[in-house]
Amino acid sequence: MNIDITDVTRQFGRTRAVAGVSLRTGPGVFGLLGPNGAGKTTLLRMMATVISPSSGSMRLLDRDTGSHAARREIRRRLGYLPQSLGYYPGFTVAEFVEYFALLKEMPSKQVPGAVATAIERVELGGKAHAKLRTLSGGMLRRVGIAQAIVNEPELLLLDEPTAGLDPEQRVAFRSLLRELGARATVVVSTHLVEDVGAACSEVALMAAGKLVFHGTPEELTARGVGHAVGDAPLERGYSAVLAAARS
Amino acid sequence: MTAYSGQIAGRAGGRRHAWWRRIGAAGRLFRIELRRSAMLWMMPVAGALFWYNAFRESMAEPAMWNLRAMTMHHGVLLDFAPPVVGAAAWMGSREGRRHLTDLIGTVPRPRWTAQLVTWAAVTAWALVAYCCCVGVVYGLTARQASWGGPLWWPAVVGAAGIPALSAVGFAAGAWFPSRFTVPIATVGAFFALGFSAQPRAPQWQVSPTAAGSPYIGPDAGIGTFYHYLPDLSIAQVICMAGVTAAAIGAVGLLDRASGPWLRTLAYGMTAAGLAAVFVAAGLAGTARLDPHGMLAIPALHDAASDEPIKYTPVCDHAAVPICLNPAYAAYLPNVREAITPVLTELAGLPGLPKSVGQDPPAYGGPLNSSFVAGGAGVVVSEASPGGSQQFNLVLPDQLPAEPGGADITVRQFVGQIRLSVAADLINKVVGSAPGGESRAQHAVVTALTFDAGVTRVPRADAAVSAAASRFAALPAAVRHAWLAAHLTALRAGRITLAQLP
Repeated sequence: MNIDITDVTRQFGRTRAVAGVSLRTGPGVFGLLGPNGAGKTTLLRMMATVISPSSGSMRLLDRDTGSHAARREIRRRLGYLPQSLGYYPGFTVAEFVEYFALLKEMPSKQVPGAVATAIERVELGGKAHAKLRTLSGGMLRRVGIAQAIVNEPELLLLDEPTAGLDPEQRVAFRSLLRELGARATVVVSTHLVEDVGAACSEVALMAAGKLVFHGTPEELTARGVGHAVGDAPLERGYSAVLAAARS
Repeated sequence: MTAYSGQIAGRAGGRRHAWWRRIGAAGRLFRIELRRSAMLWMMPVAGALFWYNAFRESMAEPAMWNLRAMTMHHGVLLDFAPPVVGAAAWMGSREGRRHLTDLIGTVPRPRWTAQLVTWAAVTAWALVAYCCCVGVVYGLTARQASWGGPLWWPAVVGAAGIPALSAVGFAAGAWFPSRFTVPIATVGAFFALGFSAQPRAPQWQVSPTAAGSPYIGPDAGIGTFYHYLPDLSIAQVICMAGVTAAAIGAVGLLDRASGPWLRTLAYGMTAAGLAAVFVAAGLAGTARLDPHGMLAIPALHDAASDEPIKYTPVCDHAAVPICLNPAYAAYLPNVREAITPVLTELAGLPGLPKSVGQDPPAYGGPLNSSFVAGGAGVVVSEASPGGSQQFNLVLPDQLPAEPGGADITVRQFVGQIRLSVAADLINKVVGSAPGGESRAQHAVVTALTFDAGVTRVPRADAAVSAAASRFAALPAAVRHAWLAAHLTALRAGRITLAQLP
């Protein structure tokens, strides 16, 4: 199992952002759904080893995140796109991706090739030498994805990856996700239900810091049968699970 | 080779390979950081500030290595502080300002080492700018100076100060990643450096802006006759290395996700850096002013540096030649101009020097009060082998064209030399009667001093003044003939005022 989380909690002062989540998953695209404030980003940040859990155990890529040496190994195999991507405006696209490739301790001889591949995969080849300050929001998002995938990660964590992408780019991105999911575990946190339906093999739904659903997109769709809220079948399933969790 | 030893060798080779890989990756990171460093944009600013302040001040000094180097040393870090600290603080706060802390927290390379690369790029550009600036001053001085070579210690202190400035700025930016950090750190560093340059407790001499004793400052006599003492410079370099280590260590303390040994290293660097600063300040506190105007620190002092510098004096070819230290070669005509009227007055008289040489100035006085330049401008007589006399003079501590409140012109410089030389030389030739200077001697000295072109003549009562005026009014040839005939009697005190022509 690439992700093996048992009863993980995370507290910020008095606020319990994640309240006892257990999750196990292997390679494939995993969709993490939930309303704003459900705890998705906090869970993703814990998986990205940015913050550590307040309690519970977390094993990623068969390593315990509690030890420093294991965390470093995990980080070598990790790709992460945060919800709000910061960037250095003076860097070019290629420099920014190369910068992260080097921080990910990729062998320096492999870096130029990996950078070029990552940039091509997000369709920014023509903008490789453009300064980041000149790019649109959607392009910056794709730069973020490129830095996340540059090291061919075994665990890829994407927080709202399609925010700011136009429909055509989103379609291309979903196909990239499917391609990446064939070899790695890709966790996509989103509240865009159609992304999950199109690209994910597995889906979990969080509400108030807890996991209230874990199954396939088809199973989530089935939960919505007979539920009135939502335009698409998956949306109806999402609304039905949330309504049940709230009640 | 056994299977086990092969395994170990393979592991060691792997480790070596990993190190080379890390160095290669660090090199690539460094290249990116060099291209995108804010210091690159600050280099012209640093150059302009340097030109406006330290360059103009040092180039306004006479073309002597010691004066130029020490004046530059005093001002260069003050010029570099705003752009270097500002750029470093900007780069240090970059992650925080750009909200990249989370993302960088997910990479295996410790955040601290990535920050070190960023800092190194800022420092590298700052050092390039610094070296260019020092190179220009030293290059021009090499073309203009008549003798000597560059003083490297003042340049080394500045070079050690640049990483310290950038480390302090970087640490400030990393710890407080706000848009206000840059202006606050820039202004703060400038004033802190300026404040440290003010003479206070002797420990403050460790400030990298202190070029020798703050009560003397750059002086032509320092490092010209005796080797420039590196004692204070060494303490300053230790202090700057300490500041750099402490600030870089403080940046490492921010990286809470780093491994235990990196955290230990960060704590160790901070503690060692602070200890080095205190040790350096303590060493500077023990400094004493040596007779050659430099600060000697007993714990760092090498007695070999107390040896005088060997040099071949530059001389003119007059009947009484004047020989000066070659560093003062440019002032030989001024000294000649100052002394010639005096020598003319005394020409042919017994006791007249066969040659005029130069002595180094002597410095004294406690460190925390005004200094005494013992014997500045005073003629000293020495009996040299063979019975001929050489008079050594000490040139005024200020040379023409020096900046500052007490600027002197060439005319004033000549006047100062003439004043001291005339009084001492004429006194020496006319001598003193066994019971002290007689009134006739006083009148003759006054008259000769006046005739030598000195406007400030020795004070005298009405009778002596009248006799002096009478004697001074004689034609030079008459006066000279009378002196030649009566000098022995005058020296013995057997001539009265009334007997003076």
